[in-house]
Formats: sequence, C-alpha cells, structure tokens
Amino acid sequence: MSNLEVPKELREEAKAHDMYLHPIDKDTYELFFGPQHMATENFSIILKMDGSRVEKAIVNPGFLHRGFEKLAEQRPYFTNIALLLRICVPESDVPENIYSMAVDEIVGWEVPERAQWIRTVVLEMARMSAWMFWIMGFGNEIGLYTAGQWAAAYRERFMRLFEELTGGRVYHIYTVPGGVRRDIPGDRWLRQLRDTVEYLKGKMKDFDEILFDNYITFERTEGVGVMDKKFALKHAVTGPNLRATGVPYDVRKDDPYLFYPELEFEVPVLKEGDSLARVLVRRYEMEQDLYLLEQLLDMGPPSGPYMVKDARLKALPRFKPPKGDAYAHVESTKGDFGAYVVSDGTHKPYRVHVRGPSQSHGVTVLEELLKGARLADVPVILKTLDNCPPDIDR
Amino acid sequence: MDMNEKPKVEEKVEEQKPQEVPEVEAPKLPDTKEGKLVAELLEKAPYAEGNVRRERRVEFKVPAERIHEFLELASEKFEMLIQISVVDWLKEGEFELVYQLWSVSESVHAFVRTRIPRENARMPTIMDIWPVAETYEREAHEFFGIVFEGNPRLGPFILEPREYEKHPLRKDFNMIGYVKTIYGEDFDRYDESKTNYVI
Repeated sequence: MSNLEVPKELREEAKAHDMYLHPIDKDTYELFFGPQHMATENFSIILKMDGSRVEKAIVNPGFLHRGFEKLAEQRPYFTNIALLLRICVPESDVPENIYSMAVDEIVGWEVPERAQWIRTVVLEMARMSAWMFWIMGFGNEIGLYTAGQWAAAYRERFMRLFEELTGGRVYHIYTVPGGVRRDIPGDRWLRQLRDTVEYLKGKMKDFDEILFDNYITFERTEGVGVMDKKFALKHAVTGPNLRATGVPYDVRKDDPYLFYPELEFEVPVLKEGDSLARVLVRRYEMEQDLYLLEQLLDMGPPSGPYMVKDARLKALPRFKPPKGDAYAHVESTKGDFGAYVVSDGTHKPYRVHVRGPSQSHGVTVLEELLKGARLADVPVILKTLDNCPPDIDR
Repeated sequence: MDMNEKPKVEEKVEEQKPQEVPEVEAPKLPDTKEGKLVAELLEKAPYAEGNVRRERRVEFKVPAERIHEFLELASEKFEMLIQISVVDWLKEGEFELVYQLWSVSESVHAFVRTRIPRENARMPTIMDIWPVAETYEREAHEFFGIVFEGNPRLGPFILEPREYEKHPLRKDFNMIGYVKTIYGEDFDRYDESKTNYVI
C-alpha cells in the first residue's frame, strides 16, 4: 500500500473529510465499500476501519443521478409518468401513483371507483413483488441463497401478471392522472391473480423454515444496528424501519387513500428496533399484503369507467391543470413515498419534488448505525434498512 | 332622494367593516382536529398565518427570519420533517421553501411556507430540531444554492464536483448550453424548437 502514489488533490480532498488515503497505522485503514459491491446496489460508502470494526462511515451517493426532477419540468404532465416511475425500480408503480394522485388533487378529479380498485390491486401487487426482491437481496447477504432464488421465481409470477395487465414487465406506465390506461384483461386474469396469491400463501411457510425462522438469520441480525423510537422519529425514518421501533405509523391507516379505508388489515409493530425486528416486521407485512389482495379479489372490481370523463383529456400534450400544488404519499415497502407537485397553469409542471424514503434513512441514519458495527454486518444493516439508492439520487 | 341614499350606503359599509374581521377568521378554522391544531399553534406564534386546506392537510406562512422559532414550536406536535421542497419563482425573484411536516400522533400533514430573495439566499439551519434536515439542506444547497447557516456539511453531495455551484434546478440554469459544453458535437440529436411531446 505504501508504495502506491496517491494524487495530491485526492489526498487533500480526503483529508478535508477527516480521512487518509493510506494506512494510518497497522490496524487503521480506509475501505471503499461500493458502488460495485453487490450489497450496495450502485451506492458507495467510505468506511474508516479499525481492525474489523467500522469507526466512521461517510455516505457517498450520486452514482445514479439522472436528474428526473429537472427533466419533469421540461415535459407535459402525462409524459412524466414514463419518466418518474424509473425512480424506484423494484416497485415502479409507487412513483406513478403518487404523481397521479397529486395531479388529481390539483385538477380536482374524483377518480372512478373501478380505477381506484385497479390502482389498489396494482399497488399491493407491486408491494408483494418488491418484498420478493428484498428477500432475494437479504437472503444473498446472509448466505441463504436458496430463499433468494425461490423469491426471484415467485416474483416472476407477478411480472407475468403485470405484463398481461399493462404490457410491461418492470416499467408499467399504467397509472395516469385521472385513472388507469386500460381495463383489466378479463376474469381469467383475476383467476390467475387469485391462484398466485394462494400459491404464495402456501409458500410463506417454506420461507419461514428457510429464512425467517432460521438460526443463521437470528445469529446475524439480533442486536445489530439498533435504533430507538425517538431517534427514528427525529430522523424521519418511515415504513417497516419505523414500525420495528414501536411506532404504529402506516400511511394506509393514518392518511387513507384509494380502497384502503374499506379493507381490514393489521399494522405489525415490534419494539426492539434492531435488524431482526425489521426483518420480522417485513415478514408479517407480507402476510397482510396477501390478505389484502385476497379481500380485494373477494370484493371484485366495481363496474363503471376506468378513466375520468373530461374533454381536456382529448388533447393530452396541451392538457393544462389549474394553478396550485399538492402533496400525495403512499406506503411503499421502503416507507413513506411522497411527491410534491406545483402547477403554474401551463402544460408542464412547474416543480416536482419526490420524497424517497431512503433519503431520510439512507444517509444520516445509515452513517450512525454503521458506527461500531463489524465489517460483516455492513451489508446486513444496509439490507435490513432496505436502502434504495435511486430514492436518494433521483 | 339620491343625495340621501348615498351616504347611507357608505355608513353601512363603515359599520360592517369592524364586524367582518372576527367573522372572517372564524370560518377559516373549522371545528375539527386540524382547525384546533392550527389555532393552538397560531396562539403561540401570532406572526404566522395558518389555514386548513382539507382533511389532514394544514398550511402555514411564516416570515423567513422567524422560521427556526416557529418550527421549534411546531416540532412538539409534528414529530417528523418529511422533506424540504424548494420552488424557484423566477419572475418574482424569490425562492419558496416548503417545510413539510407530519404529525404521527394527530395524522396531519403541514406545509410551512416561507419566501426568501433569490440573490444571496441564506437560511438558518434546523438541524438542531430535526437531525434529518442535514440531508435535505445539503440537497437544497446543491441544487438551488441556498446557504444554510450552521450546517457543517454543505458541499458536493449528489452531483459531480464539476457540477457543484452551477445549481441545476434553478429555472435560469441553461441546461442545453451546459450539456453542449460537456458533450460538444455529439449533441446534435436534440431539436431545440421541439416543444410538443406525445405519449
């Protein structure tokens, strides 16, 4: 190491951050964790290590920044859907929905019941497939690859259903202001969805045996990355991470939207606040999501149109909502996902600001939780916080 | 007759004016949990304006120099700072800062708005109230150039160092000009006159 020559500028920049680009003594050194590391998903953390313990961590985002907020100001309202959904890849329906809900509020549209039902089903399907994606990542982090491979296969079932419904597997471009782009394909699709839900319900037991009730999971996650209620609230941590510290905050219950007020479900809460609590909260939520999908299918789609009737929709590129602003948010698997849209009366939004949940728990909270952790626990903390880098970079 | 009627009307208007003031304030704040919340906060902070937008959405307007004081009061009821949005109103020459708060106990979302001039924009940091503000302020500083006094980590955050201090989310940032300087002649596919996009 000492033979390597580090450029002077780089060394000065590192020094400004209280870091040194050479081994300080025998045991203290620096480690660049990511963005190529599999666990971090295009995210980078600079770790200052003392032996195998993390002494200090500096989050280094920006490897993904694609400037969506600036681009959204250059495009008409409906075109933005195809852009903003790329913010969070595992559940791309969430950005679509929050943007559409905010625009609906600005225009003053009451979305038809059928469209609301379809949106709710799509959101729950997105949550379920995002859980599967998370199991894949988390299982791989702690070495339980089988669970991850199963989850990837089960996610494929939702991908196929999405493809039939929307025409796209990952990026759906389906929910638009005023409703959805097309109707559900038919009863066969509903039957297939019910089959998938029932199939997964049976498979949850297998996941318990291999992952959630596994000795390895308990050994690796118990007492790792602990945060308490007050810390979580001050740092605006939301979603399963907050519920694992004992705060029963769920957007679906506290700020109800779409069909959720008519559905029955529980909000699982644990109070330990460590990685294990976060994992188990997610496990209980999967069950609740399957239960919600079942209820929605029992209810059946309400009859009626799937799009609002408005003469303005005939000339989409020149569609102009009135002046105003709105904030809409939904519960995603990562947490409270919100969008703030400002309209100045022209055919392009004046400002779109997306609130990614990882923005709050992926920077300062991560840096705090990594302090004093073992190197082997770094991916575990990252994955149990469910950090989605595009939320931060956008 | 005409002469007599005119002063009568004027007198009526003068009499009604002082009566209207309390009447206007009363319907502004409905007798709901949101209305009570706003009234309670405005009692402690008379310099602010507040109203209820709809169910679970309230709104406050606060002058920029008292924003720290107001947010400290608000943090008793609103436990979480959801985000700090900045809107660049170029024609008025002002930045609008929207502090969005969420109350976990009351389930109410609050917009706290304040306006500051675009030139040499400075704000006090609110890191001491909500530590998460550090991240949001770093973002606002990088994209809009607002200096948050007291935040130790202002600097390149998401963007590359060469993009720092260009403030790309400002409305007067010349995006095409900047891209042309970076990509040069490779950048000839873009049609500048194209304003219509079709889905």
